[in-house]
Amino acid sequence: MAKKPDLLPGTLDMLILKTLTRMPLHGYGIAQSIKRLSDDVLTVEEGSLYPALQRLLLQGWVKAEWKMTETNRRARYYTLTAAGRKQLGLEVSQFEQMITAIGRVLNDAQEA
Amino acid sequence: MAPFFHKLSILFRRERFRNELEEEMAFHRARVEEELRSEGMAPEAAHTAAARQLGNATLLREKSHGVVGFGFESILADLRYAMRQLWNSPSFTIVMLLTLALSIGANSAIFSVIDGVLLKTLPYPRADRLVRVFLSNSSYPKFPLNPFDLRDYRARNQSFESIAGFTRGDVQLSGSGEPVRLNGFGITAGYFHVLGLRPQLGREFDQKAEIPGNGLQVILSDRLWRSRFNADPAIIGRKITLNTQPFTVIGVMAAGTEHPGNEYHAVAYGESVDVWWPFSFAGDPNRRGSHFVEGIARLKDGVSVEQARAEMNGVMTQLGREHPNNDAGWTVLVIPLYDEIVGKSRQLLLVLLGAVGMVLLIACANAANLLLVRASARQRELAVRLAMGAPRIRVLRQLLTESLLISLAGGALGLVLAFSGVDALVSLLPADFPRANDIHVSAPVLAFTFLVSLITGLLFGMAPALQASRTDPKQGLQKGGRTTTATGYQSRLRSALVIAEVSLACVLLIGAGLMLRSLLNQMHIDPGFQQKHVLTASLSLPHEQYKTNAATGRFYDQLVGDLSALPGVESAGAGSDLPWTGWDENAGGFSIEGKKPQPGQEYHARYHMATPGYFSALGVPLISGRFFKASDTETAPPVILINHAMAARYWPGENVVGKRMTFEDQPKEKDWMTVVGVVGDIKDQPNSPQAEPGFWWPELYAANPDMSIVMRSSSNPELLADALRNEVHRLNPALAVADVQVLDRIVNTSVSTPRFAFVLVGIFAALAIVLAAIGIYGVIAYSVSQRTAEFGLRMALGAQQGDVLSLVLVHAAKLTLLGAALGIVASLACARVLRTLIFHVAPADPATFSAVGALVVGVALAACYLPARRATQADPMSALRAE
Repeated sequence: MAKKPDLLPGTLDMLILKTLTRMPLHGYGIAQSIKRLSDDVLTVEEGSLYPALQRLLLQGWVKAEWKMTETNRRARYYTLTAAGRKQLGLEVSQFEQMITAIGRVLNDAQEA
Repeated sequence: MAPFFHKLSILFRRERFRNELEEEMAFHRARVEEELRSEGMAPEAAHTAAARQLGNATLLREKSHGVVGFGFESILADLRYAMRQLWNSPSFTIVMLLTLALSIGANSAIFSVIDGVLLKTLPYPRADRLVRVFLSNSSYPKFPLNPFDLRDYRARNQSFESIAGFTRGDVQLSGSGEPVRLNGFGITAGYFHVLGLRPQLGREFDQKAEIPGNGLQVILSDRLWRSRFNADPAIIGRKITLNTQPFTVIGVMAAGTEHPGNEYHAVAYGESVDVWWPFSFAGDPNRRGSHFVEGIARLKDGVSVEQARAEMNGVMTQLGREHPNNDAGWTVLVIPLYDEIVGKSRQLLLVLLGAVGMVLLIACANAANLLLVRASARQRELAVRLAMGAPRIRVLRQLLTESLLISLAGGALGLVLAFSGVDALVSLLPADFPRANDIHVSAPVLAFTFLVSLITGLLFGMAPALQASRTDPKQGLQKGGRTTTATGYQSRLRSALVIAEVSLACVLLIGAGLMLRSLLNQMHIDPGFQQKHVLTASLSLPHEQYKTNAATGRFYDQLVGDLSALPGVESAGAGSDLPWTGWDENAGGFSIEGKKPQPGQEYHARYHMATPGYFSALGVPLISGRFFKASDTETAPPVILINHAMAARYWPGENVVGKRMTFEDQPKEKDWMTVVGVVGDIKDQPNSPQAEPGFWWPELYAANPDMSIVMRSSSNPELLADALRNEVHRLNPALAVADVQVLDRIVNTSVSTPRFAFVLVGIFAALAIVLAAIGIYGVIAYSVSQRTAEFGLRMALGAQQGDVLSLVLVHAAKLTLLGAALGIVASLACARVLRTLIFHVAPADPATFSAVGALVVGVALAACYLPARRATQADPMSALRAE
């Protein structure tokens, strides 16, 4: 199995929340969606996905309910809550700040 | 808060949570599988690939559980598992629990003593400001005060907030019921003020009470007030009969009024005093030769002990100029009360704590060793757990949980042992041990035990846990069902543990050996008297009934005569004191005919009184001259007996019989006392460096009302007790015959401290050597079981049983000798600590060291003999087949 780049630490929660802004999804759907949107660059390991989902549930940022899929199978769908939306905003702005900061450092290092 | 409630709700719907997670993950796997199949993978390959991609299902589940679970849930699971493990190996568990319970229990018991004696603050407000005041010179390193000096200290000092004096003086209470002897102290004004205590009723003595004839007053203890006076709230002002005289009760102290201890005729610490009477004194304030008051003082705020000492020495120098005959040449000792009370016991206690700590270390090493064996036996189990995806940290925690479970259970059992052990310990304590009444299994002891158990568990659990968690799952599984051989690292670790055990046991055994020799030395010391077949008792004649010297002298003369005539009595006598009971009455300021003392070195000697039969009844030898005779009375020319030490100090090299001394400054002929004989020395205590100079007045001359009776019997002296009481009551039915005991017992009591030290260190050493033997046995037995095939092979190739036997024994001997060598080196380093605790034994006593060395090697080899025999019985064929 080829080694894929790891997610930046702390970004998984943000990606999950972002994915759920468009529609409720089940775990598999979330993983697929992240993979597709990142052009296969980001793979969410199932080993981290489900614990992360439990964490988000615990914080009240997502809700979970069992629904039927298109293929008529039972799956647990996760929905973003209002608190989750707020949290997402917070995390995105923090993330952007950090990226900008990192970018500045990198540019500076190149110029020097 | 919300996450907490969420967790809580999951906790109660644990089953549902698990099922939902299971279903969710199954769904995920199914979708991956479908996807792979749609990409053209074969169904079976797709199934495997999906399972693999999802990863270790167990691990995954545990992670999700970890997010929503509480920390204690997994710990509970660990605990349940640990208990199952321990339950399944009962012999391992029992050995571990017993060794830990014994060693932790011993530690808790010793710590109870340390807590009660050394750590608890003294029961007085701001007890750290309290000091004791003594005098010191070259002949008397620690001496009581003179009352006139004390009065001057009180007036002149700047360092003390208050200072007071006290002195032992028992009284007989009569009037209501059986007369009883009470522990009493004469105290100056402000004594309780110094201690920071206040009477619960009434007041304490003022300075007027220090003047003789100002009325007889008394303060009662709470216990006496309750037991003899029904806690009468109107007791103040009532008169009670003490020594047949009416004393007015002016105060009642509160419960918990503890005696601060005293040097002179010491009374046990604690609530040991029944009554306090006013210490009154009069006479010529320029005669300050007699010292019998003990000083106690409270330092002013901001004044250090050092400053107080310097200032008091200034005062004493001043007094020395004013009274050069008596007060010159003394220095003042100012000693913190805490040091005075616990000082003598501190080192013994710390040595005991060290000894019992070593026992615990040995027990730890033993436990670690047992766990290491178990860890190798469980390598497969651990490999399976690791392979199944248990995180290493969980396995580590699991093993530590087991260790802690054992150590805490051991600690709890140990606490049970400590509860009974402390009582035994207190009953074993020497009678003069400070603060014995404060020794209990208290809250700090509980905390100490818990902490020690915890640390013990971590200590002995850490090495095996780390070792086991390093297990490689692949290797562990490949080795099949059998236990794997110890790795080099592990066997080195185990050998090191055994060496440590042996060396610690050596240190303890050597300590015990030194203490045993010291005890034997003290028991076999020539006491200066014959202790066998002697009954003793004490009598106190009330002044009201025996007002004159003649009456007192006549009573004892008559009694001793009657006692000597009893069948079975070889000789009988009476003396002011018995050997080794703390008598330290001193007379100073006498003059010796034809001699002059050095300035500041005035003559001093212990004074005693005795009837003619006293010395032969005690078995004290006459060196020269004669004993007292019936004719040495008040009216005859005064005579004295002196001991050898006094003869040697004041008449060195001279024939002393016929020499004279006097207490008068301008002696007339009748004031001279002639030495008629020299008797053998008896030291103050069996281990005192030398006998103090001492002399005896004839009882018929000096008429001391409080005397000890001594009867030498031709058979069992205890049979004389009733006859003694009868004879006393025939002369005076109202007299109490107190302290009836055989002289043997007094001698036994005098060695109670070395015996206490030896018994405890001996018990610890015995425990240590047993633990070390178990440790050696364990290591050798394990190594033999590991090498069965090798031994079988060797024997198949022609090795004799003896070869194999010596192979094993040499292995054991190497460990033991190394341990013993280290132990002896450590003992040499530690022995200095023991120096003050042992008597007439060199800390590096070769006999003890070699005996212990031989004992340790012998025990170790004996412990290995069984496994070594087993090695010689290795059957080559079965050993090979087992491979």
